[in-house]
Amino acid sequence: MREHKGYVVLLLTLYFLLCACVRKAYTVPAQYVEADSVAPLYPDYTDITIPANIAPLNFALLEDEATEIVAELKGEKEGNLVTGGGKELKVIMDSTEWQQLLAQNRGAAIRVDVYAHFPTGWVRYKSHHLTVAEEGIDPYLSYRLIEPGYELYRQLGLYQRNLTNFDEHVIYENNRTFDEEHNHCINCHNYQNYSTRQMLFHVRAQHGGTVIVREGKARKVQIKGDSILTAGVYPSWHPTLPLVAFSTNKTGQAFHMYHDEKIEVQDEASDLLLYDVEKNEVGLILNDTTQFETFPCWSPDGRWLYYCTSDEPQAPDDVHIPDSMAEMRRVMFYDKFFYDIRRMAFDEQTHTFGPSELVVDCAGRHRSASFPRVSPDGRYLLYAEGDYGQFHIWHKSSDLYVKDLQTDSLYALTEANSPDVDSYHTWSSNGRWIVFSSRRMDGNYTRPFITYFDKRGQAHKAFCLPQYDPEYNLLLLKSYNVPELTRDAVSVSAKSLQQCIYETDGEQAKFRPRK
Amino acid sequence: MVKNKKVSKPVAPQRPVRKEEKEKKERKPLLLPTAVVMFVLLWLWAWLWYGDVLQTAREFSFWSSDATLMRFMEGRPWGLLWWVGRALLQLFRWPVVGGAVLAFLVSGCTWLLGYCLRLRGWWRLLQYLPAAAFLITVAYISFDLFFENETGMFMGIPVLAFGILLVLALIIRSFSHHHRFPPIIAPPKDETPRQNRAQLLLMAVSIGVAMGITHWIRPCLRVVTTMQCQLEKQDWHGMVETARSRPELSYRQISAYYAIALVHTGELGARLFDIRLDYDDPYMHGFQGENTNATNYYLFDCDLHAGLVETAIHHAMERLTMEGPSLRTLKLLTKCALLRNEWEVARKYLHILQHVPFEGNFVARYAPMLHHPELVDADPEFQVVRQTEPLHDNFENLLTQPSFLGYNATLTEGRSLQALYNSLMVHIYTKTMQQFIPRCQPLQGKLPPQNITEALLLMSGKYPEILKMFPNLQYNQGRLLTFMQEVKPYLGSHETRAEHARELFPRWKGYYPYYYFFGNLKATKRKDTNTGTSNQGVN
Repeated sequence: MREHKGYVVLLLTLYFLLCACVRKAYTVPAQYVEADSVAPLYPDYTDITIPANIAPLNFALLEDEATEIVAELKGEKEGNLVTGGGKELKVIMDSTEWQQLLAQNRGAAIRVDVYAHFPTGWVRYKSHHLTVAEEGIDPYLSYRLIEPGYELYRQLGLYQRNLTNFDEHVIYENNRTFDEEHNHCINCHNYQNYSTRQMLFHVRAQHGGTVIVREGKARKVQIKGDSILTAGVYPSWHPTLPLVAFSTNKTGQAFHMYHDEKIEVQDEASDLLLYDVEKNEVGLILNDTTQFETFPCWSPDGRWLYYCTSDEPQAPDDVHIPDSMAEMRRVMFYDKFFYDIRRMAFDEQTHTFGPSELVVDCAGRHRSASFPRVSPDGRYLLYAEGDYGQFHIWHKSSDLYVKDLQTDSLYALTEANSPDVDSYHTWSSNGRWIVFSSRRMDGNYTRPFITYFDKRGQAHKAFCLPQYDPEYNLLLLKSYNVPELTRDAVSVSAKSLQQCIYETDGEQAKFRPRK
Repeated sequence: MVKNKKVSKPVAPQRPVRKEEKEKKERKPLLLPTAVVMFVLLWLWAWLWYGDVLQTAREFSFWSSDATLMRFMEGRPWGLLWWVGRALLQLFRWPVVGGAVLAFLVSGCTWLLGYCLRLRGWWRLLQYLPAAAFLITVAYISFDLFFENETGMFMGIPVLAFGILLVLALIIRSFSHHHRFPPIIAPPKDETPRQNRAQLLLMAVSIGVAMGITHWIRPCLRVVTTMQCQLEKQDWHGMVETARSRPELSYRQISAYYAIALVHTGELGARLFDIRLDYDDPYMHGFQGENTNATNYYLFDCDLHAGLVETAIHHAMERLTMEGPSLRTLKLLTKCALLRNEWEVARKYLHILQHVPFEGNFVARYAPMLHHPELVDADPEFQVVRQTEPLHDNFENLLTQPSFLGYNATLTEGRSLQALYNSLMVHIYTKTMQQFIPRCQPLQGKLPPQNITEALLLMSGKYPEILKMFPNLQYNQGRLLTFMQEVKPYLGSHETRAEHARELFPRWKGYYPYYYFFGNLKATKRKDTNTGTSNQGVN
């Protein structure tokens, strides 16, 4: 009898373990009432175009009264996935089934029917569709996670997310607890031509410098010198050569007290630099003191360098600014900075630049451009345009715009844009996807959004980076900064980056006078 | 001395108890169960004496069972322990409950320590020393228990100690059958009355020392935390009474919350100077471990109640960044988001607070305001904030810091008379009288609040035109003359004034001329100003 008791306990344990592991099988309700609207989903994944290799688009239903949810995903070509969730109303899909459904319906649509159970019975919402694009997206997205704070920083890091699943890998994190001796900020990660084999990021404050990773080896360099305004800031790797164009910016912030916007980030001065990674040499590209040059970006063929620039705004004749307020003049005229996009031809042999030419005239329209990025096929120039200034992540007026460099036409990516901030963006290596930063979810916390950019040069409705727990974006108190797509994963370990940052002072770059 | 005799197994039939033996039994001195007494004393200390402190510590902390929300704790040294400590700190939502758990852990540790070390007789006093050290340390470190410090330590350390001692005790008990657990609700059998009394005395002294430290060495702590608990309940009159209950104390934190309360009771212009405003060292250490005035402690509360909602968000976000989430920061950010009608971010903060135990009331109060600006505007607390919101945009950087004083010192247009009064109070508080006088012109013909009237009368000696603007001031000249006569001998150097400020305060508290000559002398001497763009991290 005692032996049997043991078996019973064992079987019961196994049973409970199985119950815990096995997913509940959901079935489509047989009886329901039709609703006259699409299901209120969080995040909004209704009627969007998605990459064929994207992770499951798990979502939650925003209905207070509902107690259960069932979703049926039916492929236009083939395949069917029925899933659901309990009273938390979260739909978390099986990754394998999801990937199979996408593979079966590449280039076709998936119809999604959502059913919710209310005290009165089941309701079926209007169907919505997920269009599976033929083209996939680069599998890795790296970003910085940081509180949308104002001046201070504490724990932050660079992370890389596998877009085909939910794995997030730490590239580098600063110290987890406050330690004045080692407190530092990290920012502006950048890769050469969608590959992590050559990458860089900056370290500020303690252990400061620019960390450059080449073929898995990290080294720290000090770009700042007597002839340069500050250290390198916004970087752009040349697509083929060991060269990085940097802006160097003396940046300040001002804080609104009664305004829709909260912060103005302004440059007191800015120039452009060219850094030779192999020779560890840095030289000035542009340092016109009457101009604010920033956000350099190479064309995909490496023959052009695009950048933004603004004149210094002049005070109206009737406005006298006392000397005591001189340093605040730029703050007072914060909304009179209008940045254009210009470009210069680059000679790869001599490393010299041709004359500057205007590409997008924003100042003439009293608008302002930032972050120019050229599509991998060289045809489209994507940038963020707002009412004024250059740090558009704090400007609700900021939207994504495209200039067709073949036809010279200029237009907003209306389908992808939102009434809130839409800013920092990156192309996928095949040019069919754009990942950008948006504050549309709550106006404060930046989230990466993905939009399909079709062959006609039009963007589609953007969707938020999928998370395993659909509630994740509501709970996360950090912003996603500077999303960058790459084809491969970062191979250098966080530990070796830490060794490089903590244990070396950084090699001083030699200043190369302009030819 | 009566010795406890070992009780042998009963032998039947028992002989009748003799009269002498009965009397002897009745005379047996009372031995109190020290573990139980300790539990009760600690409970009362944590509940009644330190309850507001620990409730405030909880507000400075954050805990949720959700892994995403607690991600900021990952990878921290002792992270799991502080996680547990933070979880237990949540119980101080009701100090009676949290206090009971703390008392159980600390008295349990004491009892287990005695068992593990096999302490006998007088040696048993040793088992109380760690608990005494813990209590005295908690009292001594004061605000550092929770301000810019790991809030999980307070409950985490007793949990760790209890866990270790419990495991050790179980091991000892398992391998040593002779070493039985001592009784909990009765004194050990070998304990003499003198030993029992000595243990009780040690306990009482320890708790008394801890209370004495809080009352005399760190007097600011209980006053400030009580005011913060009252702020949470929006008990403005209670806050005023708490601050006035110890007017001799002078700390920035007390003054800040006192001023906030006066803004809400409409008495800022009449009662600001009822407490000393000289600012002693509050014994607070920031992240860097250096003694600090800790303006961060109250800055965003002052911003909000001065009507500077954006500035409050600015400073709250800095706290969120530096300290990680805390209940007070998230609650303030929720209020600010509602005041700015930023519904989605308000929903986010409320959603997060919903994941925190015992925060249902806050969520239930503010969630209905989402997408209902009329409900926001109807809220009594928000109504006061709205009265003093700026009419026009400005930049914090253009103002003297802190912004809530700097802004009010330059206010040229306000939404209400209250905004003008607050602004004038900033001038008389900062003793910037040259700017104060011309800005009183809109009040011509009216009777301004008491302190403003006193300031005008004081200045009328130098600027006689004030008396033409405010003829009623003359009726108050008698008191001013008496004051000036009394303080004349002390109006010499800065040092002389500082020397006599304290003795004059009881008689002249609340009277503006006293503050003008004898109050806040350190700040008057320093003349802090700070403007300019911030070149710190751009995020």
